[in-house]
Amino acid sequence: MYCVYCGVRLQEGAAECPLCHTKVQVPVKRQAEESPYSEKYPQPEKHSGKYLVLGLVTIIFVAVALSCIIFCLKSRGEVGWSGIAALGMALGWIWLVLPLLFSRWKPMIFLPIDFACLGGYLLYICVNTGGHWFLSFAFPVTMIAGILTLAGVAMMRYIVQGRLRLMSLLVIAIGLSFMLIEFFQHITFRTPMFVWSLYCMIAFCLIGLFLFVASFIPSLRATLRKVFFF
Amino acid sequence: MKKQWYRLDNAALIFPAVMRKNWNNVFRVSVTLKDKVDPEILSRAAEDLRPRFPTVYVRLKTGFFWYYLETVGEAPAVEEDYAWPLTPMTRRKLKKCCIRILYYQNRIAVEYFHSVTDGTGGMAFLQNLAARYLTLKEGVSIPPEGNIVDPAEAPKEAEARDCFQLCAAKATVSRAEANAYHTRGNPEEGLFRHIVTGIIPTGALLERAHAEGVTLTAWLSAVMAEALLARKKADPLAGKRSHIKITVPVNLRKTFGLNTLRNFTLAVNIGFDPRLGDYSHSEICRLMHHQLAAEIIPQKMAGRVATNVDLQRSLLLRLVPLPLKTLAMRLVYALSGESKGSLNISNMGVVRLPEAMTPYVERFDFIIGVQYSYPNNCSVVSWQGKTYISMIRGIRDSELERLFFSSLVEMGIPVDIESNRR
Repeated sequence: MYCVYCGVRLQEGAAECPLCHTKVQVPVKRQAEESPYSEKYPQPEKHSGKYLVLGLVTIIFVAVALSCIIFCLKSRGEVGWSGIAALGMALGWIWLVLPLLFSRWKPMIFLPIDFACLGGYLLYICVNTGGHWFLSFAFPVTMIAGILTLAGVAMMRYIVQGRLRLMSLLVIAIGLSFMLIEFFQHITFRTPMFVWSLYCMIAFCLIGLFLFVASFIPSLRATLRKVFFF
Repeated sequence: MKKQWYRLDNAALIFPAVMRKNWNNVFRVSVTLKDKVDPEILSRAAEDLRPRFPTVYVRLKTGFFWYYLETVGEAPAVEEDYAWPLTPMTRRKLKKCCIRILYYQNRIAVEYFHSVTDGTGGMAFLQNLAARYLTLKEGVSIPPEGNIVDPAEAPKEAEARDCFQLCAAKATVSRAEANAYHTRGNPEEGLFRHIVTGIIPTGALLERAHAEGVTLTAWLSAVMAEALLARKKADPLAGKRSHIKITVPVNLRKTFGLNTLRNFTLAVNIGFDPRLGDYSHSEICRLMHHQLAAEIIPQKMAGRVATNVDLQRSLLLRLVPLPLKTLAMRLVYALSGESKGSLNISNMGVVRLPEAMTPYVERFDFIIGVQYSYPNNCSVVSWQGKTYISMIRGIRDSELERLFFSSLVEMGIPVDIESNRR
């Protein structure tokens, strides 16, 4: 039984054609040969676009820093706040642009440089504002943040075995560092102790302890890995 | 048995992210036997295969950063087939099992959520299920050859690997390409999908394809592109998208010589811009053939795989929590996934079985679901001299199917039509 319109054969007993709804009435491989042209092709310059963008960003950073200094010198006759702004731009450049100038990000080199520059920047602000908080607060807090960040990144990049146990210790260390930070805040600014750090420390230590215990229980470790793999 | 879990392979990542309440990416392979299917024996066969195919008997689980698959404790219950196949698998069902095993009269069908496997992997599992069923029911001894494996042996590690990670090139290839015309129409009520299957002698199709000097997939793509073009010309609401493009999934197992039961296909879009002028049938055939040939070379494929794999490996993306990742993947899928093709033609090729099984098998079918943003799709499978071309649609208008099949008839190719029209 065929559809008179489409010409296709229909199923036996079909009431209509499912297509038009008409009712049913009753590469060849080249041989190796010497090429007339050289097979050396000009290579495009690598990263030319990247360096152009980074160059433009650097110019913007420099322009902002210089314009701050010029404006401040003209209006107040001294560097003043513009020094802080210009060094802030320099710090931003070191943190954001400098790593991109290299083909690979090497955290063990860049992170210490970043935190050292941050420390130097805070020292400049402290000296220029006549504060007495650098040695007793900013320096140790920057050191703690730098060491913990470096430890975390190193763990993620270079350690394969026992990562969960190390991570649990790192989380506990972060929790304890909050206590230290509040202690430095207390001795520098005479603020009361245990206002906020205690809660943070307890939360981080509990998470850290849970991860530490989980690292000894294969089934729990497997479940954590299953749910949190990335 | 201890529950195993698997990361989603690179191609599978997108499917849970883009699924909706009333749509997700599901496909079906089915085998029609000579005798009626006994559901009890089929259940036993399905349970027997569970230890051998841990990557197939899985459910979808949600992690903090990614979705993952976990093996299920028992095989899914064998169900009687629905009036229409490929109803979307809801999240609740996917959390229980990502496959459906169905029977209807002589037919055994398996429907897969696409994150589990692709058409080739799905067909391999179906063949094993049919082989086990025939062994239990008829006492046939089927040797492990081709896709058939020994159900008693341990699963091979290679079957569970994500081959995309192995074949990615060092450089990537851009995804940028023009958007394609999409057919439109009044959507069908509920989740009904029209399926029209054309049964055609393979020899007649190959004769026409070889007369044009092209492969069967390229030739079918050309005929479909002509049908789409005719459909577009007659469509007053066709919109600005002009390119007619067919999305052809390419089986990378052959390209890279790697085997897996997970997803290992990559779709390429081939087509033309009708604004440039009129094309003859032979010109469209040649266009499709050469575009396909240029796309599927291993180097190009490896570069395109690298584009996808690089994203998955990006530390920044990996650290983003799943809900945010889902949003990003939906955006990417909308911009560079479905918008680049007018319709899929998924050609499974010729199915081969061990000789001991052949007398018990009548035919095979392969049907892919509709996409979210376009309502027509097409899938092809060949078995014992016949090619089964299944066209699925989620709209009422059957004009595209009519144009496609009637153009085959006009070329002198006999077409038998079946449909699930209600």
